[in-house]
Amino acid sequence: MIVGNYLAGVALFCIGLYAVLTKRNLIKIVMGLSLMEASTYLLLLSFAYRAHSTAPVLLNPPNGQSAEQLAKGQVADPVLQNICLTAIVIGVAVTGVSLAVIVRIAQHYRTLDSDRVRAMRG
Amino acid sequence: MKDIPEVVEHEPSHRRAVGVLMAAVVGGLLTVAMLALPRENAPLPGIARYAMSVALPKWHTTEPVSEVVYGTRGFDTFGETFLLLAAVVGTMTIARRREPRQGFIGEELAGWREQRRIGESPAAEGDTEAEARQADAWEQGSGPQSATPDETPLGAPGPERAAAMTVVVRASVRAIAPVLLMAGLYLAAWGYSPGGGFPAGAVLLGVVLFVYVGYGYRRVERVIRPDVVETLELFGALAIVAIEVLGLVLKGSFSANFLPLGPVGTIRSGGILPAFSDAEFIEVGTGLTLAVFGLLGMGHDWSRDQGEPAERGSAGTDPPFPKSGPST
Repeated sequence: MIVGNYLAGVALFCIGLYAVLTKRNLIKIVMGLSLMEASTYLLLLSFAYRAHSTAPVLLNPPNGQSAEQLAKGQVADPVLQNICLTAIVIGVAVTGVSLAVIVRIAQHYRTLDSDRVRAMRG
Repeated sequence: MKDIPEVVEHEPSHRRAVGVLMAAVVGGLLTVAMLALPRENAPLPGIARYAMSVALPKWHTTEPVSEVVYGTRGFDTFGETFLLLAAVVGTMTIARRREPRQGFIGEELAGWREQRRIGESPAAEGDTEAEARQADAWEQGSGPQSATPDETPLGAPGPERAAAMTVVVRASVRAIAPVLLMAGLYLAAWGYSPGGGFPAGAVLLGVVLFVYVGYGYRRVERVIRPDVVETLELFGALAIVAIEVLGLVLKGSFSANFLPLGPVGTIRSGGILPAFSDAEFIEVGTGLTLAVFGLLGMGHDWSRDQGEPAERGSAGTDPPFPKSGPST
């Protein structure tokens, strides 16, 4: 039942969202953001799954199939796997930039508490 | 031993009720949406079937995912590469110090000398700051420290201040790093993995970090320097642009294959796919290295933020440009 994976992805996303909304520690907010990103990886790979399918690899397919048979047969979706790769790279990029900004905020304000970073207020 | 005061975790948080409500509402909506999505018995979409069917005849590759990454959706990967480059440039810009530097870590000695010359001694800023500065200096190899902790008796109190880790870790790194490096090069060169250059670049970063953690920055500083790594990264980006644009010039379409297709299952199969993958390997490996070492190297810029003139008071971060002279 792949729908279990879908719901696990939703749960992960909501945990991340909750962390982003309620935490005041900036590092924890980035952790929440990473959790939301991770939920999309799980979802993309779950969307790619097909029942009784094999990996989209045309080298020595299982069950004595030829590569052409496999290309028409039951395989996982290669396009969604590619999009998951893209999502991972973007996740790394977002996390890297956020952490760099947080280090600068911490140096400037001497705090990681987002409530005490108030220069932009008002 | 002194009594260590009990650490009380104080966890401030905002509006928990609103957070729970929002997360629950989003979760509910997403659940409804997920239940209506196609599941494991749905037929593959046309684009996936197309990728499966062109991989072997058109690209001579047995790896449809790599074919999608570097071939059919090459334009997407092209954009993604430059998104990563933009993020690396952003991180480097934010992480940059006030003075130009040669290495990532332990470069603030010049600044120290200048600070001492203009009469701003670390002790004047309070004891905690002085302690923090000293700990930083030790951590970065500019304090009294030995090269390895092997002479330190086991269980000695206090933090370890050696640049390298113990002989156990160093021996493990020595054993693992060549194997890991070869695995990374193999992933990129043969491309028999989804993504080819992307995971391979991450593996390259892993090798660099292993050596850095095991042996200290001094052992990698000849290679892991901003000028070397940045040049390599831009070389990778340039190679990707060249590969993609040559397709436009020679075959009339961006990201088209212009190289001869080798036999299936060899290093040359796939035309531009392995070339793109190798360029991506350089780009991702050096990009991640730059971002990680930029982050590792920052956090030691003890800017004068408390007694500083008010011009910087409301700015969010340090001024991006190095100041021309001491501002005091």
